[in-house]
Amino acid sequence: MIPFRIRIMAAVLIAALAPLAAVGVLLVFTRQADSDASIFRILLAAFVIAALLGLGIAIIVAGSLTAPLRALAVAMDRIVAGDTSTPLPALADDELGRLAERQGQLAGDLLRRNRQVARVVDAVGTYSPREGADRLVDLAIADARLAFGLIDARIVLGDPSDIPAEERVPGDPLPIRADLRAGAEPLGAIVGHASATARWDRADQDLLELFAAVVGVGLRNAELFARVADQNVRLQELDAAKDDFLRGVSHNLQTPLARIRANADQLAGEQAEGGEPDRRLAIIAEQSDRLSRMVRQLLTVSRLDSGVLRPVAEVFALGPRVRRAWEALGATGVPFTLDDRSGGWLAYADPDQIDQVIWALLDNAVKYGGGTPITVTVELVRREGDTTVSGAENRAAGGGTLRVRVADAGPGIADADRERLFERYARGALPGAEGTGLGLYVSRELARANGGDLVLAPTERGAGGQRAGSAAESGGPSAAFTLTLSAESPTEG
Amino acid sequence: MGYPPSVLIPGGPGGHERPARLLLVDDDANLLVVLAEQLRADGYDVATARDGIEALRRLENAWPDLVLVDMMMPRLDGISLAREIKARADLPIIVLTAIDAADSKAELLDEVAEDYVTKPYHYPELRARINRVLRRLGDRLPGQRIVLGPGLALELGRRAATVNGADVSLTPTESRLLYALAANLGTTVSTETLVARGWADTDGADPSYVWVTMRRLRQKIEPDANRPRHLITVRGVGYRLETDAT
Repeated sequence: MIPFRIRIMAAVLIAALAPLAAVGVLLVFTRQADSDASIFRILLAAFVIAALLGLGIAIIVAGSLTAPLRALAVAMDRIVAGDTSTPLPALADDELGRLAERQGQLAGDLLRRNRQVARVVDAVGTYSPREGADRLVDLAIADARLAFGLIDARIVLGDPSDIPAEERVPGDPLPIRADLRAGAEPLGAIVGHASATARWDRADQDLLELFAAVVGVGLRNAELFARVADQNVRLQELDAAKDDFLRGVSHNLQTPLARIRANADQLAGEQAEGGEPDRRLAIIAEQSDRLSRMVRQLLTVSRLDSGVLRPVAEVFALGPRVRRAWEALGATGVPFTLDDRSGGWLAYADPDQIDQVIWALLDNAVKYGGGTPITVTVELVRREGDTTVSGAENRAAGGGTLRVRVADAGPGIADADRERLFERYARGALPGAEGTGLGLYVSRELARANGGDLVLAPTERGAGGQRAGSAAESGGPSAAFTLTLSAESPTEG
Repeated sequence: MGYPPSVLIPGGPGGHERPARLLLVDDDANLLVVLAEQLRADGYDVATARDGIEALRRLENAWPDLVLVDMMMPRLDGISLAREIKARADLPIIVLTAIDAADSKAELLDEVAEDYVTKPYHYPELRARINRVLRRLGDRLPGQRIVLGPGLALELGRRAATVNGADVSLTPTESRLLYALAANLGTTVSTETLVARGWADTDGADPSYVWVTMRRLRQKIEPDANRPRHLITVRGVGYRLETDAT
């Protein structure tokens, strides 16, 4: 593309030289033979002079025409590059001048719009629903004034159609207004005034409405947030009230149980001095324990709901705990075998909570095993796999995993029930259902809260079982639960 | 009179040992009588009170060695009573409660009571815990806050340690073991003693309980658990707590 300046120069030159060239051509054709050499010399000189003159004029004209254009271009370049400090060059009141003026206006509008958008975007970022609607209204008013250069602004909440529109009076400050909405729901309006001389065109109004929409959503969020915060407080109060209530219920149930237990203990103690204590006293003690465990189970469920179990991990041997839980159950007549292969490894968990789990598993085995032999195996398993290893092998690896397997040889658990066994109140479909139906649910949650797990082992029958053990030898367990817990080696150090 | 040695504590006339004095506070009259009888049968010197106000009145006349308080009582509940008692004298308190460690009030108990026993309690367990707290009576800590080095300080009163500026909470067992060690700063405490201090109420507790707990404790409070500077193992004997100075 040939530059504008060169084209103007070429046009002036051609305009200056074309007539002379035409005269020369005519002379050549009309007076060839007797041509006077001096005519040609004069013509050549005139041509050269015209060319030089034309060139000079062309340079001047092109310069005067393109200089303001170039200045304008440079100024626009600066604006595009972000420099807004230098004003556009003042031009004469002609076509070029008007062009420059319009350009200047556009550039000014662009800058103003940039500032407005930047202010609006900034404002949107600072609107946190946590700070509440009042604070948001204050912020939005300040932002609207700054962004749109308003003399005054306020936010009126309520139905926008109830807010009277202000007439525009020439010479008075210009009333402006945009409705606040959250979606389709009207919330109010931003109203205010721009100065009488301010430019307020369609784009300003559009941007103000956009801003109003953002404020509307912000107000709605603040309102919702306040409602949620309020509900949270109420829920916490309710939770605390429920906690208090349960604590009271627990106390009122446990106190008579404690009294029964203490009296039974004392009677048993007196009788023991005279010989064998009455078995009926042991039953009273066992059953009162059983009741108090059920009360605790209900309390635990309530804590699971509020997500506070707070296990306090201590070390303890699982074997003795299982033995003690079995004795507390008082299930005389049910054959019981405890096979402790932990190699002295200790579980690391909350002993009280794990007691609840062990007790629930044993209680289940008695309830649903139908008097069949119950076998509990405590064994050390590797952390990464399922292979039973000796204590010495695992010792090198540091920590390990202990597994408690509680198995009975009863009718087993129907496949349909296996899935929902760990759900709340899941006892319904099980044979001989009694109790709260919370035992397995609570037990699994407790095991998991203590970093372990509780699962129902796959059905194993007869010799096909994966694991050898006394239960397998007696025909295979029909229901076996395994509780896993992290373990520590019993080494001094 | 032949008392079982577990109920005897130093401080009797003529430098002899005497049975421990317990104050039992419970609004349940029947339980109060039964428990008092059980405790008396085991050789303790037992006084009883039906509520907190009566308990405070009794404290004006004589100080027991240990107070057993029921948590839920009319007029003055167990925790408030425990606070009142602590404000008057540093008496060890065991709270009897229907709540357990997972309860939100359990932290309150930690603040005011040496220990708590969940109702319905088993008498042998309760007795074991009473004895465990009594055994600690002879122990005197060097101070509220025991600075063991630039990066470690113990505040056993609130079951916490400060490790490199960070607060680390201790389990009841951990703080009981540290209490026994801190009361004998720089001296080796036998593993058997630590078993008794830590697990008096646990059947089958043996030295491995101490070993594992110490290992865990080191990871919690030692700046470098692999090269312990404060919790020192004396192989085959026990453990010793040391400050950086010793």
